[in-house]
Amino acid sequence: MSGNARRERLTPDQFRAVVSTVLRTGVVTAAALTTVGFAMSLLVGWNGSLVGAAPTASAPTDFSYLVSGLLVLRPVAFAQAGLVVLLATPVLRVATSVVGFWLEADRLYVAITLGVLVILLGSIFLVH
Amino acid sequence: MTLGADGAIFAISIAAGLIGALAGVGGGILIVPALTLLFGIDIRLAIGASIVSVIATSSGAAAAYVRDRMTDMRVGMFLELATTTGAVVGALLAAIVAQAFLYILLGVVLLGSALMQVLRLGEEMPPEVEPSGLAARLRLASSYPDARLGREVSYAARRVPLGFVLMWCAGLVSGLLGIGSGALKVVAMDGAMRLPMKVSSATSNFMIGVTAAASAGIYLGRGDVDPTLVAPVALGVLAGAMLGARLLPRMANRHVRWVFLPVLVVIGIQTLLRGFGVGA
Repeated sequence: MSGNARRERLTPDQFRAVVSTVLRTGVVTAAALTTVGFAMSLLVGWNGSLVGAAPTASAPTDFSYLVSGLLVLRPVAFAQAGLVVLLATPVLRVATSVVGFWLEADRLYVAITLGVLVILLGSIFLVH
Repeated sequence: MTLGADGAIFAISIAAGLIGALAGVGGGILIVPALTLLFGIDIRLAIGASIVSVIATSSGAAAAYVRDRMTDMRVGMFLELATTTGAVVGALLAAIVAQAFLYILLGVVLLGSALMQVLRLGEEMPPEVEPSGLAARLRLASSYPDARLGREVSYAARRVPLGFVLMWCAGLVSGLLGIGSGALKVVAMDGAMRLPMKVSSATSNFMIGVTAAASAGIYLGRGDVDPTLVAPVALGVLAGAMLGARLLPRMANRHVRWVFLPVLVVIGIQTLLRGFGVGA
C-alpha cells in the first residue's frame, strides 16, 4: 500500500498532528473572537461601538456588515466573525486532509477527500 | 437576553457539548428544546443555534480525538463521501418529500436501533475479524490506544458496502430534514461495520462537523443564525466538547454505550413526536 512509487513525506502521526492543530486553531480563534464580542457587548451593547460610532440598525443575523462592523469595533461583528471562523473550520480540515493524504502518498484517499471537498464547497456556494 | 439567561444557556451548552462529544452526536437534542421551551426562543433561531453547536462539538472534540488516534480519519473521510452526496440529494428532494412521514420513519429506525443497542450493552469489544478484501484495499483496518485497557486495540471494518449505504441514507436524512444525524452515523459504524464503540463515537464526531458545515451556509444566508444568541451556546458547547474529549479515551467502551443509549432513545422519541406534529 504505502512505499510504492512515491515516498511518504508525512508520517501518519505528523498528519494527525497537523489536522489536530488546524481544528484547534479554528476553535480557539472562534472562541476568542466570540468571547471578545461578548465582553464588549457588556460595555456598549451588541449593536454599539467601542469607538463611539452610532448604533447599527441592522439585524444581528445580517452578516453583510461584518467587515464594516469590525472596523468600528462593534461587539456583534466580533461574534459574527467568530461564527464564520467556526463554520469554516470543518471545511479547512477537509482541505488540509487532501494535502495530508497527498504527502502520505495515498492517492486513493487524495481522490476520496478531494471528492468530499468539492461536494462540500459546491453545497455551500452553489445552493445560494 | 439578560446576563442570567446567557449564563443558563452557557451551562446547558456545556452539558450538550459534553454529552455530544461522548455519544458522537451534535448536542441539538439538548439545545433545541432548552432554547425553545425554557427561553421561548423561536424554533428557527434555535435550530440555527443547534447547527452551530454541532460544528462546535465536532471541531472541539475532534482536535483531541484526531491527535489521540480515537478518530479513524480514513473511515471518516471514506464515509463522508457517502454522507455528503446523500445530503446533496436530500437537499434537492427536500421540497417534494413529505417531512412528517420521514420523521416518523426515522424515529422508528432510531428506536429500533436503540433495541439493538440494548442487546449489546455488556459488550466491550466487537469480535475480532480479519479485514475483508475491500476493507483492506480501502485501509479501513487500524488500531487505537485504549487508555482504559492499557493496550493497543486492533480493529477492521466489517460490511463496508452496508456501512456506506447506511451513511448515504444518514446524509440523505440530513439533507431532507436539516439535522446532523450523528446518532445514525454511530449506529452505522457500531452496528453495521462493528467498529469499537469509542472509535465509532469519535469518528462520528469528526464527521458531523462536515455534514453540518454543508448546510450551515444556507441557515446563515436565511438569517437563522443569531450571533448574540449563539455566542453563549458556541462557547459552552466548545468547553463541554473539549472536556468530553479528555474523558472518552479513559472510558470503557461499554460505558460509552450507556451514554449513547439514552441519547438515542431521546432522539428517537423527539423525532417521532415531530413526525406527529408535537414539539420542536
